Amino acid sequence: MDFIFIMEQMPRLLPGLMLTIQLSLIGFLIATILGVPFGIIRAYQISPYLSFSIDFYVFVVRGTPILVQIYAAYFLLPLAGIKLSPFWIGIVALSFNSAGYQIEITRAAIQSIEKGQYEGAFSLGLGKIRTLISIVFPQAFLRMLPPMANEMSNLIKASSVLSVITVFELHKAANAIISDSFKFLEMLFAQAVLYVAFVVLMTQFSIYLEKRIGTKLQIKNFSQR
Amino acid sequence: MSFDLAFMLQIFPDMVRAFWLSVQISVITVVISVCMGIILTAARLLGGNIARYSIIGFVEFTRGAPPLVHISIIYFLLPEFGIVFNEFWTGVVALSLIGAGYSVEIFRGAIDAVSFSQLDAAKALGLSRLQSFRLVLLPQAYRLSLPPLTNELANVIKATSLLSVISVNELTKVANDLIFVHFVVVEVIIQLTVLYLVIVGLLMLLSKHLEARLKF
Repeated sequence: MDFIFIMEQMPRLLPGLMLTIQLSLIGFLIATILGVPFGIIRAYQISPYLSFSIDFYVFVVRGTPILVQIYAAYFLLPLAGIKLSPFWIGIVALSFNSAGYQIEITRAAIQSIEKGQYEGAFSLGLGKIRTLISIVFPQAFLRMLPPMANEMSNLIKASSVLSVITVFELHKAANAIISDSFKFLEMLFAQAVLYVAFVVLMTQFSIYLEKRIGTKLQIKNFSQR
Repeated sequence: MSFDLAFMLQIFPDMVRAFWLSVQISVITVVISVCMGIILTAARLLGGNIARYSIIGFVEFTRGAPPLVHISIIYFLLPEFGIVFNEFWTGVVALSLIGAGYSVEIFRGAIDAVSFSQLDAAKALGLSRLQSFRLVLLPQAYRLSLPPLTNELANVIKATSLLSVISVNELTKVANDLIFVHFVVVEVIIQLTVLYLVIVGLLMLLSKHLEARLKF
């Protein structure tokens, strides 16, 4: 293995990594903004039509490969008159995908909160929305963190598929180097290490958040008692 | 956006042929990855330190890097060592490795979730180590691992779409080619989506059926 070659190619790989980071963070953020509210709506079953359409959306997202969703965004958006750069098409596809999974995660977390919590909140005279905001959601948030970290790592890995629509992210950058230097081993190793590093960083961040919020919630409960 | 039903029927035979290839890859991959997963889990739980740490490393690698990278590694690196598969088998090997890595984690989690008192009870009944593993631990772990395993296998099936980058003529590749030959997008993508939903939906039904039978 030629480590000097890897170091020499770093200036070409790192912009790819930056793009991967941007894609996954922006995609995740948009997906959270869409997914969490709809997950809550689904968990509370506000209207049967809305629940059904959310379920259908989740079924389609979970039943089709990310590659198909990316192709769909790439080919269908221009047909609908929306012209975006490949980067933003990638963001649209990734957040479309991730929102589906995040709806499921939020729904499951909210439905896993015990009934006693609602009863306690109502007996304290809190309204429905107030109960959601200050009792149910904080606890659900803690339970959402591990699957959300999973989803984040899936999203990072899914961003590699955007190479097929010419987004110059990490995998594409490494492939470009492979096709003009034919050094497979080095480039595959380098990109695998970079991906694993980013994934591990994000999962560790979630574990840190989990610990911090966990202690914070316990302190709150303690002081309220 | 106009909608052309005749065109959908015209491309249907091509799509179904590709669909069949995707189903073949999926089924072979699912079988291999579950078998490998079981063997590796047994090795990880019962084997020595070397086996344990190498399997942990393997699992971290399969879960940490994108499937596209695994596919490239198998596609580019194995020929360097003189191991040459055709594209179909390259894809099957890559996806099976990924599936095996995930299923090891699922099986291990399920076996860990079966409590220790079960093993103590088995010992008290005079079952040997292997017997208690086979008769007590595995049936319970099997039931626990079914839902996450279904999820994972659905992911593996969806990952077959990535094999289009190494020119396996599976569903996504054929659909993409059809788009570029005919410049018709909507019809092709709808068919593509529905066909994938059929494969994944069948898997979900199968798992629901198994789960319902296993409830006790």
